This record gives sequence, C-alpha cells and structure tokens, in this order.
Amino acid sequence: MAAEPVQEWSEEQLKSDSLQKKDIIRFLQENAADSFLSEHKLMGSIKNVAKTAKKEHLITAYEDLFKNKRFKGSDSTESAVSKMKEVKIDDKAKEATQEEAVHEGPPKYKKSILKKGDKVNFPKKGDTVSCWYKGTLEDGTVFDSNIATSSKKKKATKPLSFKVGVGKVIRGWDEALLTMSKGEKALLEIDSEWAYGKKGNPEAKYPLCSYNVGTGLCFSLWKPYSFVL
Amino acid sequence: MALDQLTEMIQRCRVIPEDGFKVEDYEIFQKAGKNCLEEMKTAEILDIIKEEKNKVIIKCMGWNLLGPLIKIVLKKDKTSLQHCLSMLTHILELCSPKEVLLGLLEQIEDADMDKIAETIVLLLQPLQTVLLKLGKKKPPSVGMSLSTILNQISQLPVPYTQEQEEDDAHGLCQCCVALLTFTKPFVEEVQQSYTNKVVGDMEELRNELLKFCIKCLSNPLLHAQLEKVPEVADEMPMRRVATEIVEILCCTGESLPALIFHRLLSKKEEPGFLEEDAKYSKDSLACLSYLIFVQHMGMDKFPLVFSPEFILHCNILHIETLMKRKEESVLSKALDLFEKTLLRTNQNSVTVQFLEITCFLSVPQALVQIMTLCPIQHLRTKGLQIFQLYIDIFDVEGKHKLFRCLLEVSHHAGVEGYIIQNIKKQIDLALKPDNGNLWFSGAALLPLLRLVLFLPQGPETDLLQNLDRIMESLNLLRYLLIRDKEYDNQTGIWTELYKIEDNFLKPLHTGLNMSKAHYEAELKNTKENKKHRESKEENPLCTLSVAGEKLPNMTTEMQLQVLQSAMFTFDLIESVLARIEEIIEVKAKK
Repeated sequence: MAAEPVQEWSEEQLKSDSLQKKDIIRFLQENAADSFLSEHKLMGSIKNVAKTAKKEHLITAYEDLFKNKRFKGSDSTESAVSKMKEVKIDDKAKEATQEEAVHEGPPKYKKSILKKGDKVNFPKKGDTVSCWYKGTLEDGTVFDSNIATSSKKKKATKPLSFKVGVGKVIRGWDEALLTMSKGEKALLEIDSEWAYGKKGNPEAKYPLCSYNVGTGLCFSLWKPYSFVL
Repeated sequence: MALDQLTEMIQRCRVIPEDGFKVEDYEIFQKAGKNCLEEMKTAEILDIIKEEKNKVIIKCMGWNLLGPLIKIVLKKDKTSLQHCLSMLTHILELCSPKEVLLGLLEQIEDADMDKIAETIVLLLQPLQTVLLKLGKKKPPSVGMSLSTILNQISQLPVPYTQEQEEDDAHGLCQCCVALLTFTKPFVEEVQQSYTNKVVGDMEELRNELLKFCIKCLSNPLLHAQLEKVPEVADEMPMRRVATEIVEILCCTGESLPALIFHRLLSKKEEPGFLEEDAKYSKDSLACLSYLIFVQHMGMDKFPLVFSPEFILHCNILHIETLMKRKEESVLSKALDLFEKTLLRTNQNSVTVQFLEITCFLSVPQALVQIMTLCPIQHLRTKGLQIFQLYIDIFDVEGKHKLFRCLLEVSHHAGVEGYIIQNIKKQIDLALKPDNGNLWFSGAALLPLLRLVLFLPQGPETDLLQNLDRIMESLNLLRYLLIRDKEYDNQTGIWTELYKIEDNFLKPLHTGLNMSKAHYEAELKNTKENKKHRESKEENPLCTLSVAGEKLPNMTTEMQLQVLQSAMFTFDLIESVLARIEEIIEVKAKK
C-alpha cells in the first residue's frame, strides 16, 4: 500500500478563510477511500461538492479521515464498478488496438449516386438526419421501407430521423450517410459485416442467411435525407 | 304506492315546460322510480317512459333511473329483462348524452367486485352509443370512459395459464375483447383523419387512445401469457388483445421506435406531469418492447436499419425494469426479451465502452440473482443460458472487464465457478495459433487470474461452501500449467506461480488439513454417540420446517452420511491439488 498521506493542515488553518473549500475537497477526493467519500457525500465534481457541502462538514470529514485512516486502498470492498473504471489499459495493448482500427481496410459498402446533393451540407457525427429509404435483398425483395406505396398512406409516413455516426444504425448506413450531402440520393450495397453480421436479422421476414451472405444487403436511399436541426 | 306517487308527479309535470321542474320533482321521480323498479313493476315503468306525452320529463330526469335499472338487468330475471333493456334504449335515445355518460360511468365505477366484468360488458355498447352522440366534443369523455374501465379491470386477477385463460373465471378476457370492439369506431375516426388531412382536429382523440394503449400494456398485458399456443387454432384472447393494442398504437400515428427508444433518448427523467408519466410508463414501454421483439407484433412497422448494439442498449433498460419485479409472468417476459435481444446481437461485437453504462453491469447482476435465488426452476435454468449469451456478445476486452466485475460482486461460489470456466475457455481460445489477444494472455490476464487463484478467506475459507469455485480454480490452474509451457509463459502463469502458491495452494493445504481433522473428529464423535444413544430417544436441539412442514429430525445415519460425503469432497480437492503440485515439481526439477 502507498504511504499514508500527511495531515498538512492544522485545525486553525482549516478554519481560516484563506483555505478554500475546493482545496479540502480536492485533498479528500485524492486521498480518501470511495466508501468514505460516499458516506460523507463527497463524490462528484469538486465544483458541485463545494456547492452542497458546508465548511464545518468538510473539516469534520478531514479530521475523521486521519482519525480512522480511511485512505484510498483501505477499502476491501470498493464497488466493482468504480474499481473497474480504474483498470488502466496496458500501454502496449492500447497502441495495438489503435493500430487495429487503422488497419481495418476499405469501407465494406459500395455507393452509387443516383442524384447529386447540394455538396454543401454534409452531416457531422451526432447530427440528426432524416431519410427515406428502401431496403432490398439481392433478388429485389423489399424487406424494409418507409416510403409509402399507396398515395392514401403517404400522409401518414414520416422520414426516419436519427443521430448519424454514433452507432444507432447499422455501420454501412452510419458511414455512408456521412459522405452524403443534403438532397443526395444513392444506392448502397452493404456487406453483411457492416449490416447485420453473419446472423442476419432474425426479425426480418426474409432472414439474410437464406440468401448469399457474401454480398449482403442492398440499401437504396430513394429520397435524400435532409437536416433537421 | 310508489307507482301512484310517480304517476301523480308525472301528471302534474306534463304541463310544466322543460326548465320549470323543481328539485322536489326530480327527487320524487328518482325515489319513486327506483322503488317501482325494485318492486319489479318494470312493465308499468316502460309504459311511462314510452308515453309520447312524457318525453320532456324523461329527457330531463330519465337518466336517474340508470342505476336501479342496471341492477335489475344484472339479476337476469327473465320477465323483466326485456322491459329493462327497452327502457335503457329509450333513455339512451332521449336523454342528454352527457348525463347518461356520467350515469353509466358511475355504474361501472360502483360495480361490486364480482360483478365488474358483467357490468362492463353490459354497458360498453350503450357507452359507445352515447360517446358517438357527443360528436366532436367526445375526446375527453372517451378518455375518461377508457380510464374508468381500465381502472376497474385492473382489479380483476389476470389469467396466466392456458386453462385459466380458457375458463376466464373473472371475465377479464371477455372484458378486454369487448373493449377492443368498443374502441373500434374511435380508432377508425383517427385513422381516417390521416387520409383526409385533418390530423390536427384528431390530436385529442389520438392522445386518449394512446394513453389507453399504454395503460393496457402495463395492466393487464404485462401480467398475461402472450405466447402463441401452438395447438390452439384460434388465437388466445389475451394475445389477440395484445396484437390489437399494438395495431391501435400504430394507428394513432405514434412511432414504435420512438416509444422503444424513449427511455434512452429522453435526457430528463424527472417525474413530470401525470399525463407524461402515463404516456411513458416504464412498465408499459418494457411490455411493448417484449411484444415487438419477442412476439414480433408490429415488427413490420419497425425499421430494420437500427444497429443491434443500439437496440441492445435500449432494451437493456426495459429488461432492467422488468427484472426488478418478482412475478413469474413479468420475470419470464424479462428473460425472453433479454434472450431475443442477445440473439440478434452478434457475438464478440459489443465493445468494452458499453460496460461503462451502469445498466450493462446491473442487469447481469440482477440476472445472477434470478439464477441463484429465484424459486422458479425454469427461470433459473433460462437465466443461466442467458448469462452465457450475455458473456458471448462482448469482445475480448469487454469479456475481460465483465468477468472482473462479476467476480467481485457475485458472491456465489456456483456463479464464480461458472465465470472461471468461461475464463478458461477464453484463455484456451487465446492460446490457439493466430488467435492471440492481449486480454486473455500476458500482462492483462494476470489481474484476472489473481481474482481467481486465491482463497477468499485464506485457510479459514469454508471449503464445502466454496467447492464450485475452488474446483474450477484448480482446474484452470492445472490447465494453464499443462497447456502453457514454461519457456513460452504466454499467460505469465509461471512467473506468477510463487504468488499463487502463497495465496492459494498453501492456504488450501492448511484449510484441507484443518477441515479433514475437524470432520474426522466429528465422524468419530457421532459414531460413538450412536452407540450410547441407541438405548434412549433424545429430544432434538432444534427443529426445522420448510414451507410450513416440519422436517424429520436428522437421524444419526444421515449425519454420518453427510460427514462422510464431506470427507470425499476433501479427498477430491486434494487429489487435484496433488496433481498440480506434481506438475510444478516436475518442471522445477527440469
């Protein structure tokens, strides 16, 4: 275990106005065990703790810490969650994973532009986009679409809106949409790896596995997306 | 007597204009009318109501008779039934719909527990007629009616087994099915508004239907059995209700993804206004998710482009909600939803970042609780299957972290043993050529091994209690020592060995010796006591009862058996331990 921290402030120093609440909180958070901090309600950002805690309370906590020696690492049962967050990835491991990401190779989809967009408004990661789409299998079977076929239903349908680039939709979409500008219409052919994976989509009426897994899905974006801001 | 009074009052009032009736007149009408009906003078009252000259009086006062009238209908007396139904029709036609509506709802609200279903089924049709008469002003009244009815229905026990549902002893299924017929015209109205582009006007009615669906989802649907029953040709009523509720939801123009993702995407979780609460009740959304992803209802309206990880994240919030409950009906839905969600997620695809999200750690913990503590056997078994599926979806780094977390919090030797098995599986994969990863070999593996290869309470650890864990740990160690050659040391086990000996093998030795000595002494004692005791019957020190039944006292034979089997267990541990030490010794000599 690391050496115990030194009790650097005397009682008078603690009470004097020159010592700010923030400093005491920082010291406590750096040196006290998590369970101690939570007992004294000292978890969270320093700013917030400073807002809620009174100075006398902090002084008591400070003295309590040294009296009962509840320093970091003294807990035998610190909650697993917080412990796990401290687990540092080995430097080597980190480098290697980053390398992996770089070497992932070319995108696993093919995009053919059917109608050009305005080439100005490209979405950034996290922007909300709205799009009309039709998803077809290789043989042309439509398995999903939000484009109404009959004019009657047209008024009830809406474009699909979601935040792009943050993993909400299948990877092929997420990546391809970032390359499209407002008003663009394109045909996407997505490898299964960037679509539903080897399993296919169990809920689809036409499970992918019964078709050629290699080429995967084709998504045609019939109507362009437009920004909803 | 009452009839005379009533006739007299009516004669008098015929000449008075509509707004001239006095409070006393109303009182006489209500009181005398009620008495007449109770005296079963239904034919006479019907004549009064039908009489053209009494039209104005009935229009103003008729609804006061609803209460007594409905009570008589529920008695199902053959002679009076027809009269009463005719009276009801007349009152519906003549009286102000608003007053009739209140009268009807009052009857539903005041129905006795055993008459709830019957009353509702009887009154839905008249209620619908009255509501339709209200025209454009109806949405609040529709909402009020639906919520009154659902509140009453929620008092009825929900059938769970197929037999219960077929019997429908409390009439819940019948009520729900009737309720669907009841809502039909309103749903159609909303639907048509989309075609005629008058959506704006329908906003209110749409909202009322939405609230109704959401309420239905949490009660009764959450508690009902909604699986398809294969042998039955017709769909079971509660499943039919579920299907239609999802359809109504879609008809109201509410987007299913928006509802399913609501928990994740809406940032504020403050307990807002009542209305908002009802709209997004956690139970209801979880039940909806179950219907969509397990029963595939409304799946054709659910876009397929969402990534499996995103769906997993949303659903895990729903699963968390359901797992907090204790009812079998709800827990089995939680497990089904969990299973289906995991099956649609690709193996090894979920990254470690997801484990930063609280629910990704709290849900497996809740699952462990079900696996170990749930009294229902099939849920425990299913829980274990799902546990494995959950482990499988994470990438290696994710698995590594998940194992560490679970080892620290599970506190159950069986679960820990199971996790250790999984660790062994991962190491085995990592050691295969071209399969190497940084998480189950080398430096990253050691912290994980340290969590496994030690005795939780040193030599004092209860070996029998921790048997599953200890055996799996020993198996893992034996595997590592055989599989990973000392000169390779891919797992780092050989450099760690001195620590393992100190923290695990030596304390285990001591523990084994102590336990064996203790049990041997115990065995000897019991055997000796047996000889003494055979002559006299002794009172037991304490008795144990399970589920109200007193367990028989342990006989000396049984005690001996238990002690003996403990001894065998120690031998088992010792033999594996001996094998491990042998391997170490051989290598050390080399």
